[in-house]
Amino acid sequence: MSFEITIPRLGWSMEEGTFAGWMKKDGDAVRRGDALFELEGEKALQEIEALDDGVLRILADAPQPGAVLKVGAVIGYLVADGESLPQVQSGSEVVSHAPATAKTPLTEEAKGVATGASPSVRRLARELSVDLSHIEGTGHRARISEDDVRAASSRRGDHHAHTHTSPLTTDIIATPRARRAAKRAEINLNTLQGTGRNGRIRERDVVHAAKTHAIGSTSSSGHRVVLSGRRKVIAERLAESHRLVVPVTLTSKVDATNLVSLRAQFKTTGESLIPAIHDIIAKLVAGCLKQERRLAGRWDGDAIVLPADDEIHIGLAVDTPEGLIVPVLRNVLNESLLSLAAESSRIIRKARDGRLSGADMQDAVFTITNLGSFGIEAFTPVINLPETAILGLGAIRKQAVVTSDDRIEVRSLMTLSLTFDHRAIDGAPAAKFLQSVVAATENPAARLLMAE
Amino acid sequence: MTNDQILSLYRTMLIIRHTEEELARCHQRGLIHGACHTYVGQEAIAAGVCSHLTKADTVFSTHRGHGHALAKGMPPRELMAELFGRATGCSRGRGGSMHLFSPEIGMMGTSGIVGPCMLQACGGGYSAKLMKSGNVAVAFFGDGAVNNGAFHEALNMASIWKLPTLFICENNQYATEVPFSYSSGSPTVAGRAAGYGLPGFEVDGNDAVEVARIAGEAVARARSGQGATLLECKTYRTRAHAEGMGDFTYRTREEVDAWKKRCPIVRLKAITPAELSGRMEAIEAEVMEMVREAREFAEKSPYPEATSATAHVYSEARAASTPESNAIRPAAPSPPREISFTQATVEALAGEMARNPTIFVMGEGIGIRGGNFRTTPGLYDLHGAERLCDTPICERGFVGLAGGAAMTGTRPVIDFMFADFILDSIGEVINQIAKMQYMSSGRLKMPVLLRGCVGIGHSAATHHSGSYHALYGQVPGLRVVMPSNAYDAKGLMLRALRCNDPVMFLEHREILTAKCHVPEHDYEIEFGKASIVREGTDVTVVALAKMVLVTQGLCDMLQRENISVELIDPRTISPLDTETILRSVAKTGRLLIVEETPAAFGLGAEIAAQIADTGFNDLDAPIKRVNGVFAPTPYAPSLEAAVVPTDLDVAQAIRELARE
Repeated sequence: MSFEITIPRLGWSMEEGTFAGWMKKDGDAVRRGDALFELEGEKALQEIEALDDGVLRILADAPQPGAVLKVGAVIGYLVADGESLPQVQSGSEVVSHAPATAKTPLTEEAKGVATGASPSVRRLARELSVDLSHIEGTGHRARISEDDVRAASSRRGDHHAHTHTSPLTTDIIATPRARRAAKRAEINLNTLQGTGRNGRIRERDVVHAAKTHAIGSTSSSGHRVVLSGRRKVIAERLAESHRLVVPVTLTSKVDATNLVSLRAQFKTTGESLIPAIHDIIAKLVAGCLKQERRLAGRWDGDAIVLPADDEIHIGLAVDTPEGLIVPVLRNVLNESLLSLAAESSRIIRKARDGRLSGADMQDAVFTITNLGSFGIEAFTPVINLPETAILGLGAIRKQAVVTSDDRIEVRSLMTLSLTFDHRAIDGAPAAKFLQSVVAATENPAARLLMAE
Repeated sequence: MTNDQILSLYRTMLIIRHTEEELARCHQRGLIHGACHTYVGQEAIAAGVCSHLTKADTVFSTHRGHGHALAKGMPPRELMAELFGRATGCSRGRGGSMHLFSPEIGMMGTSGIVGPCMLQACGGGYSAKLMKSGNVAVAFFGDGAVNNGAFHEALNMASIWKLPTLFICENNQYATEVPFSYSSGSPTVAGRAAGYGLPGFEVDGNDAVEVARIAGEAVARARSGQGATLLECKTYRTRAHAEGMGDFTYRTREEVDAWKKRCPIVRLKAITPAELSGRMEAIEAEVMEMVREAREFAEKSPYPEATSATAHVYSEARAASTPESNAIRPAAPSPPREISFTQATVEALAGEMARNPTIFVMGEGIGIRGGNFRTTPGLYDLHGAERLCDTPICERGFVGLAGGAAMTGTRPVIDFMFADFILDSIGEVINQIAKMQYMSSGRLKMPVLLRGCVGIGHSAATHHSGSYHALYGQVPGLRVVMPSNAYDAKGLMLRALRCNDPVMFLEHREILTAKCHVPEHDYEIEFGKASIVREGTDVTVVALAKMVLVTQGLCDMLQRENISVELIDPRTISPLDTETILRSVAKTGRLLIVEETPAAFGLGAEIAAQIADTGFNDLDAPIKRVNGVFAPTPYAPSLEAAVVPTDLDVAQAIRELARE
C-alpha cells in the first residue's frame, strides 16, 4: 500500500505554496506525525507532518526547494517496506521552479496527451481550475470525461467556486491580440485578470494594465520589488478591511505607573520569564471582553458570533522581516498570566522565525498591536477581519501630572487607541469598553489577582 | 465535283488518318499524358463539312475533335504538341485531346462534356446574325449527344431564331460503348429535325463526296438566312473509344472489320479518276512528311512553365475608364438624385447598349414586356427583338448559347429574372463559360453577364429565393457581384458590361426598390473593392446585399450602447477584398460576418479562414457568423421568417461579440 504525499492547502485561499525542503531523506522510515517537509503558504513556513507510516520515496523529478507548487501536487510517496515506487507519471504541479533547477513546466497539451482528455474536457477543467493530471479517467481507455472533471471539482469543495476565475498560471487564456499587446507592453499575462468570456484576457485588459503600470512607475530609475506571497496576503486583507469596515478610533490616556511598577515587581522575583506589557494588557483586556463581548464579536456573513469564555483568543500583531503577522494567544481568560507570557514568547519567536503553523494564527476574537516601542503615542489600528475591534498600545512616557489634590507628580502615561467596527458596535459601548480597559490598566494587580 | 475538290478532300482525310495513327503510336509509347480519342474511320465528315467553311466560320466540337480541328485548318504539329502537353500546342498545353482551341482559324474549341457544343454553335450563329457577318457556325457531335437536353434546346432555338448553324451528328452507333439502337427511342436522328421545324438529312458519313454535297447545301441555306440544318452522318469509328481501351466487350471484331472495309479514304480513291493517282501519291508523301515533322516538333517543344498555371483565369485587368476609387461613397448633392436599385441598373444597361452594338439581352419576358422586374423597360423599342431577345424556358440552352456568342465576339446579357434558374444551366456556367478563357490560354474572351434576383422574402418559397453566391465564388473564372444599393449597382453594372470576364450579377429582390442618390454620369466601380459603409472602432461587420441594410439600421442603436460598428460591404464576392476587411479587423480586433444564406462552406467561412490566417494576431475575439438556417426556403410567413437572420439576431451577435 502506498500513500501519496501531496501539497496541502494551508488556509482557505491558498492555491499554491513554496516548497522549502524535505525534512526526511529518500528511504527513511517515517512514522505518522513525523515532520516530512516544509512548505511556505500564504502566511508562514510550516512543517508538514506525515499522515501515514511508511518508507519515504522521493520522486526523481521531485521539486527542489524554492519551487512553487499547486495545492494537491504529488511530490512523493510513503510505501511499505520493500515495496517499489508506484508506476505513475510524476504529477508534481510545478508552477515555477527554483532558479537553479528550472525546468519547463508541462504544457497543457502535453498533460492532455498523457491524461487523455478531449479539448472540451480540458476547457472545462480550465474553467473549474481542476488539474487533469490528478484525475483518473472513467471513460474508454481511461479517458477523462466531463463528469470526471465535475466530480473532481465538487470533491475539492464548494468554497473554491468563490475564488476568482482567473486562469491558473499555466492555463492563461488570452486572445492573440492581447498576447501581442502584452508582448509589446512587456506585461506578464499571469498578472492580469481577463474580462472576456470565461475570464479570457482581451486587449483592453492589457491596455488597462499598461496604463496602470505607467501611472505607478513614474520613475524609471526606481527598483521594482515584486510582492512576496506574504505581502500580497497582507495587502489583500488590509484592503478588504479598508473596503468593508467602518472604523472609528477612540483614544484615551492611561496612567500606566502601576503597570510599570508591576513589571518591576515581577523582575525582582529573579524568574527568567517576565510578562511583557502586552501580556499583562491581554490578560486585562480578556477580562474586559468577558464583560463586553460585543467587542470580541466575529463577522460571519449576516451574523456576529460572540465567543464563549474559553474562546477569548487574542491576536498579537508582530513585526517580522517578512511583514506583519498575527499569532494568537489562546484562551486568555482562563490561562494564567505566566503561562500566557510563556506562550506569547514562544509564538512571537516562531513568528519571527517564519515557522508559525496555520493553527497558531487562527480564531482570534480581538487583536492587540503595540507601536509604543517605536515611540508612537496614538494611532489608528486597522481591524483584522473578521474581528470587530483592535487595541493599539502607545509609548509609555514619564510626564508631570496634576493629581486630583492639585499636586504635580511624575507618572508613566500611555495612550490606548481602540478601533472598532461601527457596523457592529455603537460608540457608547465601545467607549465604555475602553473605559474599563483604562481602569484595569491603571490598577492591574487587583484585576489579575481577582482573575486568578 | 472538280478534281481539285476531290484531291482537297483526299488530302484532308489523309492528314487526319496519318496524324491519328501517329498519335495512337505515341499513346502506346507513353508520349501522351492523358486521353486520346481518335477520329479514324470518320474522316469524310469533317473533311466534307469543313470544305465549305472559311476561317471566319466557326466550329464547335466534342471530345472526338482531332479531325474537326485538322479539317478546319489546324496544322498537325499544333495538335500533336497539345496532346504531348507542350507549350506549342494549340491550347498551349492547357487542354490535351478534349480541349482543342484555335480561334484564329475558327476552331472555337472541343469539349469534354457532351452537348454544350450544340448550344455554343447556336451562339456562334447568333453572333453572326446579330453582326450580319454572313458566317456560319457548325456543331459536330456524336449520336450520344442527341439524347441530351442540349440537342433539343439547341435545335429549337436555332429553329425559332433561324440561326445560321449546322448540326452535324456523326452517328458512329456507340455513345462510348452504349449502342444508339439501345439508347434512342427513334432509329433516326435526322428524322427528329421535323419536330423542330428544321430540315434534316441522313447521309452516308463514309462518303466524302456525298457529305460535302449535302453540307454545301446546308451552308448555303445558312448563309442566305434560311436557318439551320441537321445532318445525320452514318459512320463508324474503327478504333476503340479511347486509345488503350478494350474494344470487343460491346461490339464484335467482325463488325469492326466490316466497317474497315468501308473506309472513307479507300472509297474516295475508288471513285477518283485514274489520272489523279500520281497527284494522290504525291499528296500522301507530303502528308507523311508533315506528320513525321509534326511529331518531331511536338517532342522537341518545351513544356509550359509551371508559373503560368494561373495565367488567363481572368482576362487582363483593364483599368476602369471612369473609375470610382473611393471606398467611401461621395456625398450626395442637395437635392439628391434618388433612383431605385433596378432603375440604376437600367440606366447602366441602356447607356452601354447605346454605346456598344455587340450587347444583346436574353431572357424570359425581357423583350417587349420590359422584364418581369422592369430590368429592360423601353429598350425593345430602341434596339429591337434581336438585341432584346425573349427566350423559351430553356435556361441551359440560352446560357450555352451565350457562351458561344461571347466566344464569337458579341456580349450577351442573360436576364434570369430569378437567379434560382441559373442552376438549370450550371454546367454551361461552370464547365464552359467560366473555364473558356483559361482553356483557350486567353485567346477567347468571355464577356457574359448573368443577372438575376436572389434573396428571401414575400413567401417566394424555395425555387424563387435561392442565393448561391458562395457556390459561384468557388469557381475560378467567374466574377460574382452582389450590390447592396442603387449607387453600387450602377457602377458595378457598368463595370460588368465593360469587363471581358463572365460576371454573375446577383440582385437581392427585397432591395430592388430601395432608392439612394445615383449620379447621372457614367462611373465604374472596380471589382474587388469593398465599401466601408460606416466607420467604427469596436466590431467589424461584413455583410452582403440586404444584410448590409439590416446591419446599417442597427449601427446608431449600438453606438448608443457604446458599441461602435464598422460595416463593410464587399460588393463583390469574387474577387473578394480581404485587404479592406483585414485593415478593419486590425483596428477593431473583432469580426462578424452576416449572410442571409446557410453558413456551411459560405462566404463567412471563407472570410473567417482568411482573416484567421493573415490577421490572427489582430483578433481579440473569435470570428463569429450570423447566417440563415441550413434548410430550403419555406413558404408560410412564419416558416420563412424562421430561416433568415433578423435584425435582432444581428444586434445580439454584435453585442455578444463585443463582450467576448
